[in-house]
Amino acid sequence: MIYLDYAATTPLDERVFEAMLPYLKPDGLHGNPASTHGPGFKARAAVEAARRQVASLIGADASEIIWTSGATESNNLAIKGALEFRGLPKAGKPAHIVTSKTEHKCVLDTCRHLETLGARVTYLKPDADGRVSPEAVMAAITPDTALVSLMWVNNEIGAVNDIERLAPSLRERGVMLHVDAAQAAGKLAIDLAAVPIDLLSLSAHKLYGPKGVGALFVRRKPRARLSPQMHGGGHEQGMRSGTLAPHQVVGMGAACALAAERFEADIAHWSGLRDALWTRLREVPGVLRNGPAEGTRAAPHLLNLSFPGVEGEALRASLGGIAVSSGSACSSATAEPSYVLRALGRDDETANASLRFSFGRKTTLAEIETVARTVIEQVAWLRELSPLPRTW
Amino acid sequence: MSELDDSNPFGYAPEIWRLFQRAPNAGSFADDVQGVVSAEAGTPAARSVLRLALRFDGDRVVDARFRAYGCPASIAVGAYIAGWAQGRNPQELSLLKAADLRAALEIPEDRAHCALLGEDALRAVLTRYKEQQA
Repeated sequence: MIYLDYAATTPLDERVFEAMLPYLKPDGLHGNPASTHGPGFKARAAVEAARRQVASLIGADASEIIWTSGATESNNLAIKGALEFRGLPKAGKPAHIVTSKTEHKCVLDTCRHLETLGARVTYLKPDADGRVSPEAVMAAITPDTALVSLMWVNNEIGAVNDIERLAPSLRERGVMLHVDAAQAAGKLAIDLAAVPIDLLSLSAHKLYGPKGVGALFVRRKPRARLSPQMHGGGHEQGMRSGTLAPHQVVGMGAACALAAERFEADIAHWSGLRDALWTRLREVPGVLRNGPAEGTRAAPHLLNLSFPGVEGEALRASLGGIAVSSGSACSSATAEPSYVLRALGRDDETANASLRFSFGRKTTLAEIETVARTVIEQVAWLRELSPLPRTW
Repeated sequence: MSELDDSNPFGYAPEIWRLFQRAPNAGSFADDVQGVVSAEAGTPAARSVLRLALRFDGDRVVDARFRAYGCPASIAVGAYIAGWAQGRNPQELSLLKAADLRAALEIPEDRAHCALLGEDALRAVLTRYKEQQA
């Protein structure tokens, strides 16, 4: 089996695993970080060290990091919490959110939920490369706009939104900006000391950390204020109650430290693999590259291609020894064509016949060559098998 | 199938997986082959199209080919019918129903349309055969 689905999730890095172990062993460090005694203080120290590691990866202050269960929770907390703090949506008090059609489901569904409560949401259509321009966002702003929520890197196609240029414009207009950076952290340079983002979501398992833990950056100056969505003991500055899981947060901290340390090498490795695979697969007649055009800014770790003339499920089955995603992992379960590719203008059949290849630290050029050869063979075989006229 | 494709990670029924991987009788007959009757069922929009070609010698099928665009179950249905039809006459061919295909290939409920695709394609071939005989 060749695993090329690192954008769905990564394995734990060995060093992350080792860092987590002391907090999982029966005779290990089991203290509750909120407790005021020796074991509690030890756990607390580990949690705070991890907080600094996460903050360091994104140019933030440790006090601006709130632990969550993952990017889905971070996105929910950011969007719902920001509106709720402002008493929105409320009858007679309009609330407007600007987002895009190609956000992750957890942002779209959160926005749809707020629509049922009375909020108005503008879902911007991306350009042909999958980007939403700062100009398009600014044009959608109204006096009632309470929040813009835009992903930094699209999880399916690797399009990179120009958040660096958008954020100052929104700050100037006094509109809060939330950025889903689950696919951006460790893949592109993030410096929140320089880019005025108010809220930013992170996930550990996309960068060799454990599943089940994430973080939300909440800016302190100027203070981004949120209403908690999880009520309880007032943990995490009152923004997210619940006993912290030290093994998880230590894992996320270690993963972020590793991502920072390996940043240049990772990016060179992934983009080299991406370009090598594209060089081979562009030989397939009619193949379409989804997302950023070659030579433009793109996420280094993934490549999304459509193979017109083959049926998607048969294509995936014919590649049974290769773990790749059709669209995103989340949408695969529904067997519906990817809404991201549909938003780019791909028809249902083409969107269905699309594969997302994503690369990891241990992916080798030899694996890329095997995958390329297999895909070329199988697409040719399925096309040969098809009674449909050649349209590609 | 590919060098990597020795597993069945999607959990297809064994017969579907076997026929999808090997696709016996895939292809079509050359234009100058005599006695071939072919017909198609399904639509690209529904992501399943099956073309069946049966070569008759008298009233017996002596060879068969299929082409399919669709999921592995659709492809397996095409391969199964192309194999099953050989040696049979039109009366016998008319007895094959979607339920038989579902039983033979263990096609689950949510893929019942693949079996119907097979029945439709076979019925279309028989209709054309009768038209040609008339």
